[in-house]
Amino acid sequence: MRTTLPVAVAFLSGVILVISFFFDDKNWLGLLGQELKIWLTIVGGFTLLLGVVSITRVNWAAVRRKKERWEYKVLTLIAIFAMAIPSVLSPDWSIRFGRNEGSVYDWLFQYLMSPMMATMFATLAFYIASAAYRAFRARSAEATLLLVTATLVMLWRVPMGEWFLNLFPWIDIPYLLNTYIMGGINMAVQRGIIIGAALGAASMSLRIILGIERTYMGKG
Amino acid sequence: MSIWNKMEKMDRRWIYLMVAISVVIPFLYPMSLPISITPEAQAVYDTIEALPDGSTVMLVFDYYPSTIAECEPMAIAALHQFFSKDIKVITLSNIPLGGPSMAETITRMMAKEYNKEYGIDFVNLGYKANYVAVMSGMGQSIEDIFPTDNSGTPLSELPLMTKTKNYADISFLFEIADNATADYWVSIVNAQFGLPMVCGTTAVSAPKYYAFVASGQFKGLLGGMKGAAEYEILVGHKASAVTGMSAQSLVHLLIIFLVILGNLSFFIGRRKSLETA
Repeated sequence: MRTTLPVAVAFLSGVILVISFFFDDKNWLGLLGQELKIWLTIVGGFTLLLGVVSITRVNWAAVRRKKERWEYKVLTLIAIFAMAIPSVLSPDWSIRFGRNEGSVYDWLFQYLMSPMMATMFATLAFYIASAAYRAFRARSAEATLLLVTATLVMLWRVPMGEWFLNLFPWIDIPYLLNTYIMGGINMAVQRGIIIGAALGAASMSLRIILGIERTYMGKG
Repeated sequence: MSIWNKMEKMDRRWIYLMVAISVVIPFLYPMSLPISITPEAQAVYDTIEALPDGSTVMLVFDYYPSTIAECEPMAIAALHQFFSKDIKVITLSNIPLGGPSMAETITRMMAKEYNKEYGIDFVNLGYKANYVAVMSGMGQSIEDIFPTDNSGTPLSELPLMTKTKNYADISFLFEIADNATADYWVSIVNAQFGLPMVCGTTAVSAPKYYAFVASGQFKGLLGGMKGAAEYEILVGHKASAVTGMSAQSLVHLLIIFLVILGNLSFFIGRRKSLETA
């Protein structure tokens, strides 16, 4: 039963959604498909809740046992609930509740979370510069090709570099880069990856619908 | 140990210092650099310009706060162009981490500048989990998926939403993303419902989307801060992306210099070591 029911639910949901694709809202199958999509957004909401419950359990257990660096886990728990609780309370009770401008959630997001995330991402520039200096070596023909292409594209994507590339008036390097590197070689490779990934996703979906793939239930 | 061997083992903190200086100097002493317009950015601008005044568009904030420097200037420039043409804007996000807040803050800020009214000229639908179902479901009924807007107001009370039932009532989609959601907008909404769209994305994601530009599924593409700067110029509101190009120019040149220096120190240093051995 523990295996049969999820497989049956996955099969029915998958088949209904596939069939309903061919019908509009004038047909009951189209309406059923739409109903399932609404359910999906609700289930999606519950998965977020599951994430909150899971992270709370894991961190709370670590705090109770005073595991190494448990102080950070306390901070994690405070951060989760400080943002979550005021955001789900009704703004009718207080202007500080909800997610509108002036709410606790909005303030925490604008002045703490957003700058912290932007800072974390910006530090990548330092690591990339250091890594490029140490690791980007023309050791082989392929590496040299990558190095030269990357250098030209990096030059092309900034005004100073573009000015430099335009110093050679007999050859329009920016145009060639855009047309043949980005719109040619790059595009061909990306198309291959996109089509390959789509075929993989389609076959995996089919395996789940038909009950062949059961790893989502924790089974091999 | 030769100078080249020493160079190869240079302390990384010197590199960090060089990057910091390259970023800070252009902000203290701004440089006016000519920025050329790529055909992809021009196409974004032209597509929106061709929309009839008063039409309704969807502007999607599918980016995290970490990529604000690249994506936010695109959103602001897009709102300049939309509101100056009296285009109605519906915003939403598939990113729970701040997307709806960013949409709310930026759209309200821009609406104030153009005297636009919430509910009539723009609406923020907010966030709903499971973006594949959201994108697909809105094709039949937006209200089914978003019964209320971001503040909890029922859509039936918002004049803009009473006349916008599904994608058939929307003329255009502008997706700003730093992740794979753009793939789903193109495969679900553009391919299945025929909604014309453009995409603004981070520099690291842009190469992937050239395939959709070539196929005509994206009418145009803005790639990274350069794309944002091009679009700001086209819209006629030079702002943070244009300013940021000077810093990005210097950092790109620094990285190229470091790559050349790293290779020289590696190869010359190795040759010197072999000669002395």
